[in-house]
Amino acid sequence: MRVAAGLLATFLGVFLALLLQQAFPPVYALHGSRLLLVPAIFCLAAVSLPFPAMLAAALFTGFVCDLAYLHVVGGQVEIALGCSIIFFVILGSIANGFHPSFERGRWWPLIPLSTVGTSAYILLQFAMISLRRQSFEFGDVVAWRILIPGALAAVFSVALYFAVRQLAGLLPSSPFPRRGF
Amino acid sequence: MKKLNIILLLVVVAVAVYLSVLPPGAMQSLQASFLSVLAPFLRTGTAVQTQLGNVGKGLKTLDELEVDNRRLSEENRELLATNNLLRDIEAENNKLRSALEYRERSVFKLLPARIIGRDSSTWWNTVKINRGFEEGVETDQPVLTEVGLVGKVTTVAKNESIIVLITDETCRVASKIEGSREQGILSGKRIQESGTAGELQLNFLTKNAALEPGQKVYTAGVSNGVFPSGILLGTVKEFRTRPLDGQAVVDPAVDLSQTEDVFVVVGAK
Repeated sequence: MRVAAGLLATFLGVFLALLLQQAFPPVYALHGSRLLLVPAIFCLAAVSLPFPAMLAAALFTGFVCDLAYLHVVGGQVEIALGCSIIFFVILGSIANGFHPSFERGRWWPLIPLSTVGTSAYILLQFAMISLRRQSFEFGDVVAWRILIPGALAAVFSVALYFAVRQLAGLLPSSPFPRRGF
Repeated sequence: MKKLNIILLLVVVAVAVYLSVLPPGAMQSLQASFLSVLAPFLRTGTAVQTQLGNVGKGLKTLDELEVDNRRLSEENRELLATNNLLRDIEAENNKLRSALEYRERSVFKLLPARIIGRDSSTWWNTVKINRGFEEGVETDQPVLTEVGLVGKVTTVAKNESIIVLITDETCRVASKIEGSREQGILSGKRIQESGTAGELQLNFLTKNAALEPGQKVYTAGVSNGVFPSGILLGTVKEFRTRPLDGQAVVDPAVDLSQTEDVFVVVGAK
């Protein structure tokens, strides 16, 4: 029941995050970077849920992300469906390694996981586009647009953790540890 | 690792591999279904954004009113507010009239559409509009405004479509330059600079093309192409010579970051 509730909350969170991301314009003061919320939400799910549930979360998250970012022009697909699923399975497997310590109250690995996960996801997209378009254009702006969303995700992951923990505290059996500040 | 976990992992990877080998058309169908699910939320979001934008505009006008009132204390506050409101309506009216006039005099059959969402990704430039195959929208149809070309349709759902903008690197348009015989391929840039309306690059020009800033760039309208001839794309900003060809940097005619209403070219009149 606890796992099912966590999984359902993850699906809902990812869906809402995708909608919210549409509403946020690029931050021109930060080199046109964008706020990416989905990887941080997924990382929280991956550290708090058991492995099979994490896989279900990775499947859902990767699938909807692929659909959201699918870019087909002239019959050419830039990033095929399924690539994000593989990415989130790998990220989730690493994050799930922290599941036992998370249950003991150590929540801070969520911060580096969200940071690296977010930047790695944008980097993966960039690498796949470069491969598909057969040209590699790397510069300062590209680097910032990869790194800044990761830094923003670090801040967001902390806020997300405490917000979700407060909400989970309202449940009869909270999946979140009581200590760990 | 438990045996069950390994089996589940293999199942998920198998699903991912299966999805990755689907033909592009099947992927687009899935995306169209997903877009239909997202659309009601996007439409609501757009409506809320518009309302909030109007509140912002109102506040700005009140600020201006406050300044005016200090300067002209005898003026009535209520009258000023009413006048400002009428000005907003008049501006909106002018905008819509201009769009309507363009639609009436256009040689194309134009379907008016509204942008309901902008791409949240870092690397692509797309928008979502509130028209789909039920209204006659099809893949590869050009999208424009009364000012110039916006892009073309890529994915079509029942009542929504995705448009790739001309500022995207993958949107390529055969182009010609006003007052010259130069023709080239116009496309967006992979990395658009921050805070600008976006820049376009016109490639494959002759090395000695005598182009001047301000010259207008139009669609060339090649046979069996997507875009009809004569649609304004932008103006030349600068010209540079490369080892094999010439390249012009072009400012797009349409401010794609501000555009809300567009037309889809659904056929000829």
